[in-house]
Amino acid sequence: MPLLETRDVTVRFGGNTAVDGVSIGVEAGCVTGLIGPNGAGKTTLFNTVTGLQRPAAGRVLLDGADVTRLAPAGRARLGLARTFQRLELFLSLSVRDNVRVAGDILRATGRTVDVEKETDRVLARTGLEDIAHLEVSAIPTGRARVVEVARALMTAPRVLLLDEPASGQTERETEAFAALLTGLAAEGLAICLVEHDLPLVMRLCTTIHVLDYGRLIASGTPKEIRESPEVVAAYIGTEEIGTEEVRREEVA
Amino acid sequence: MTSFLTFTILGLVLGAVYAIAASGLVLTYTTSGIFNFAHGAQAMLGTFLYWQLTYGWGWPMWLSLVVVVGLAGPAMGALLHMLIMRGLRETADVTKIVVTVAIMLGMVYLSQWIWHPEEARVTEMFFGANAKIELGGVVVRVHELVCLVVAVAVAIGLRLLFTRTRAGVVMRGAVDDPDLLRLNGHDPDRIAMLSWAMGSTLAVLAGILVTPIGGGALEANQLTLLVIDAFAAAMFGRLRSIPRTFTGAMVLGMTATYVMAYFPTDWTWAGNLRVSLPMIILFVVLIVLPQDRLRVAAVRTRERYRPPTPRSAAVWGAALVAAVFLLALLLDDGSITTFALGMTFAIVALSLTLLTGYAGELNLAPLSFGAVATITGFHFGVTGSGLASRLTLWGVLLAVLVTAVVGGLVALPALRLRGLYLALATMAFGVFLSNMVLRDTTEHTLFGVTFSIFPNGTLIVPPLQVGPFDLRDPRTLLMTATVLFALIGVGLAALRASGYGRRLAAMKDSPAAAAMLGQNLVKLKFGVFMLSAAIAGLGGLLMASAGGSVSGDNFAIMSSLALVMLTVVGGIGYISGALFGGLVSGVGFTIMVGTFNDLATAHPSMESIYKTIGQLLVVATALIGMGVGKNPSGTVHDIVEGYRTLRGARALLAGAAAVEAVLYGLALTGVIGNWWFAILTACLVMALPVAGRMRAAAPVRRTPPELAGVAEPYSDELRERLDRELGLPARERMAKEASVHAVA
Repeated sequence: MPLLETRDVTVRFGGNTAVDGVSIGVEAGCVTGLIGPNGAGKTTLFNTVTGLQRPAAGRVLLDGADVTRLAPAGRARLGLARTFQRLELFLSLSVRDNVRVAGDILRATGRTVDVEKETDRVLARTGLEDIAHLEVSAIPTGRARVVEVARALMTAPRVLLLDEPASGQTERETEAFAALLTGLAAEGLAICLVEHDLPLVMRLCTTIHVLDYGRLIASGTPKEIRESPEVVAAYIGTEEIGTEEVRREEVA
Repeated sequence: MTSFLTFTILGLVLGAVYAIAASGLVLTYTTSGIFNFAHGAQAMLGTFLYWQLTYGWGWPMWLSLVVVVGLAGPAMGALLHMLIMRGLRETADVTKIVVTVAIMLGMVYLSQWIWHPEEARVTEMFFGANAKIELGGVVVRVHELVCLVVAVAVAIGLRLLFTRTRAGVVMRGAVDDPDLLRLNGHDPDRIAMLSWAMGSTLAVLAGILVTPIGGGALEANQLTLLVIDAFAAAMFGRLRSIPRTFTGAMVLGMTATYVMAYFPTDWTWAGNLRVSLPMIILFVVLIVLPQDRLRVAAVRTRERYRPPTPRSAAVWGAALVAAVFLLALLLDDGSITTFALGMTFAIVALSLTLLTGYAGELNLAPLSFGAVATITGFHFGVTGSGLASRLTLWGVLLAVLVTAVVGGLVALPALRLRGLYLALATMAFGVFLSNMVLRDTTEHTLFGVTFSIFPNGTLIVPPLQVGPFDLRDPRTLLMTATVLFALIGVGLAALRASGYGRRLAAMKDSPAAAAMLGQNLVKLKFGVFMLSAAIAGLGGLLMASAGGSVSGDNFAIMSSLALVMLTVVGGIGYISGALFGGLVSGVGFTIMVGTFNDLATAHPSMESIYKTIGQLLVVATALIGMGVGKNPSGTVHDIVEGYRTLRGARALLAGAAAVEAVLYGLALTGVIGNWWFAILTACLVMALPVAGRMRAAAPVRRTPPELAGVAEPYSDELRERLDRELGLPARERMAKEASVHAVA
C-alpha cells in the first residue's frame, strides 16, 4: 500500500478544472516522479496534498488515514513535508536558523528533540555547513533549494514532496542532490518529485506519474513512460529527448 | 408606515454616500494593491476646500463644485500616486498601511493649520434644507435625491468603465501583474494614476454630499472618521467587487438609520451604539467573510532588520538607564514628568515591536489596549482616597492580565485574518472602544450593580506605590518607566533570539512554509497578540498614572495611528525604534508646539513666524511617515548602519565620547543651556556616521566581475566572491580544477 495516496482528487478554480480526478500513490523507500507540461496541475496537486488547497472532490490518504480535511500543520505533524517551487525561505533568518526553526517548531509541539544536534546533523547531511552562517538572501538559488530540503528534513518526515528542487542548480549541485535523494530513499523515506529535468527524473524514480491538463495520462516505470505514445505527444516530444539523454548517460 | 418609508429612504441616502466613498476605495485598491487609509482625509480636505470657495470666498456654488470635484479631487489623487504610491511596490503591508496613515494624519494636521479647528464652519444642503419633494406621502429633501442620483450615476459609470472601456479592463488586471501589462503595451503607472485620480474624486464627492446630512458642521477628525465608516461597505465586496460594495453600503446605511429610529431611547447604551455601528459591522464582516487561503509566496520585501543579541541589548539597556539618569539631572520637575510620559508611550510602542516587528502582524489601536488596562486599574487597583490614593502593584498586574485577555478576545475571531484585514479589525476595535466605552459616562444598572465605565469623561489615576518606591516623585517615575522599558526591551531581544522568536520570524516571512513545518499559526498568533496587548496595557496604565488623569481623547484612534506611524518611522523591528516612536508621538508634538508657542509669546514681533514653524513641524512628522515608502526599514536602521562603519575607529569614538562628556559637564554646571546641549548632542550623533561613511568609503573599490583579471589581478578574495555568486560550493576542488585547466 502506498504511504501517500490521492483518490480522485479534483480541484477547480472558478470554471477552470486544474486537477481532474487524479489518483496517484507514493511508496516508501523510493522516489516517485510527477511530470507534465507547465500548467498541468502538478503544484496544485502538491498544494492539495499538503492542505494549502482544498479539493472540490476526492480524498488524500496518509498511511491509510484520511487527511483531506486536516490543516497543513496537522499533516506536517503526521510526517508530511515539502519544498516550494517559488522559494519560501525565511528571509530574516540565517541558513542555519532556517533549518533550526523547524526543530523549534517540533519541540513546541511537544516532541523531544535536541534541536542543536539535529540541526548540525541535517546541515552536514545536506552539505550546507559552509554557508550555514550566511543570510538566506545572500546565497544562490541552487543552494537555497537545498536549504528548503534541509528544513523539511528537520521535521523527520515520512513523505517528502519536492517541487522543482533542481531548477537553478548547477550541474555539480544536481549531482550531489541526486545522491542525497537516493540516500534518503534508501533509508525508507517516500519522496515525490516534480521536476522538468527529465534525465534526472528518469534516473531517480522507480514510478512516474504524468499529468496533462489536470488529468493523469500515464503511470509506470521510467521505461514505460518513455515509450508511452501519449506522454511523448503531450510532454516529451516526438524526438524522444528523454531517451536520448538517458542513453547517453548510461553509456557514460 | 410612512415613518418606516421615511427612515428607509434616509437609510438609502446614507448608503448612497457610503457607496460613493467605498467605491473609490475599491478602485484604488484593485489597481494598486494599496488600501488607502487617507481616503477619509481626502474627503475631508476636499470638503474644507469646497467650504472655503463657496462660503469663505463667496464663489457661486456650481463654480466651486467644478473646481473641487472636477479639478482638485483628480489632481490630489494623481499627485498622491506620482509622489508616493508609485514607490510602494514590493513593500510590506505594514509599510503600505503606515504611509497612507501618515498621509491621513498629515492632511488632518494641515487642515487644522489652515482652518483653525475652534472656528465653526457649516456647509448647507444643495438647494437648501427646505427644498423638499413629496413622493407618495413621504417627504424627501432635494439634497437627499441628489445623493441618490449621484450614487446611481457613479454605479452606472463604473460598470461601463469596467466592462466597456479598455482602460477599465486593464485596471482589473493591474494589481496582479504589472509587468505582464507592460509587455502587452499598457502603462500600469498611467492606469494606476487614473484610478487614484478617480478614487480621490469619489472621496471628495462623498465628503461634500455627506457633510450636510450629518448636520453640516465641518470638523476635521470627525469628517475623516465618517468616511472611514465606508470601509465596512468596501469590505462587503472584499475590496474587489463594486456591486457588492454598493449592497454593503446600503445595508450599512439602513442599519444605522433603523437603529437610530427604533432602538429604545431609554436604553443607556443606545446613543453610543449608533455611532459605533459601522465599526461593529466592519468587525463582523471581516470575521464572517471567507478569507484568502494561505498564500504560497513568501513576502519578498525591502525591509531588513538586524535583531540584537540579548547581551548587546542588555548593554544598551543599561546605557539607556544611565543616560536618562544623567539627563534627568539637567531637567526641572515639569520636564521630567513630560519625559516620563514619553517613556510610557515608548513602552506601549514596544508592544508593536513584538507584534509587528517580530511577528509581522498589525495592531492599529495599541492605545486602546492601554485604555482597557487604565479602566481596569482605575476601577479595581486603587487604594486610599484623595491625595493619599495609590495604585497598587496588584492593581497593575490585574490590569495587565485583563488587557491580555481582552487582547486575546479581540484577536481570537480575527486570527484567521492577516496583514491588512487584521489591521482593519484592530482599528475597528479601537474606534468602537473610543465611541462605546470611553464615552460611557452615563450610569447603567446591570444585575443590581450601578456603574459607569468612564465616569465624568475623565479618570483620575493615582501614581503607583510599591514598598518604598512612590511614583508621585517625578524622578522615581521617570527612572521606573525607563528601567521597565529597558527590561522589556532586553526581554524582547532574548525572546527574538529564542526558538519562540525564530518561530515568529518564520510565521512573518512565510506563513505557508511555517505551517508546512507543523506550526499552528493560529495558536502562535494568539499568544503573541496577548503578550503584545499586555505590554501595551502596562504602558497605557503607566501613561495614565504619569499624567494624573486621562480622558477618552488620550486613547483616540488618531493618537494610536500616530504612535504606530512614528514607531515604523523609527524602525518597527528595533527596540530603539519603539523608543523613538514613543517619545516623539507621546511628548514630541507637545514639546514642539509648546516651545514655539513660548517663543512666540516671548517675541511678539515674530509671533506668526514661530507659530507657523511649530505647525510646520507637526505636519513635517507626517511627511517623515510618508517617507517610510522610500526607507522602509526605518530611521534607526540607517543610524545603526552608519555606526556600523565606525567599528574599529576607536579614536573617533573616544573623541566623540570626550566631547559629549565636556558638553554634559558644561550643561550641568549651567555654562550652556539645555537647548544648546540638546542641539550640539544631536549634531554630534548625526555627524559621527557621516564621518564613518567617509572613512569607510575611501578604500572600498569593487571590481566588476567581468573585469577581473583584466583591470586587476585575480585575487583569492575575488575568486571567493565569484564562487559564492555563481553558487560553486567547494573552494579546494575549484582550486584543483583551476590548476588542471592551467596545465591544459
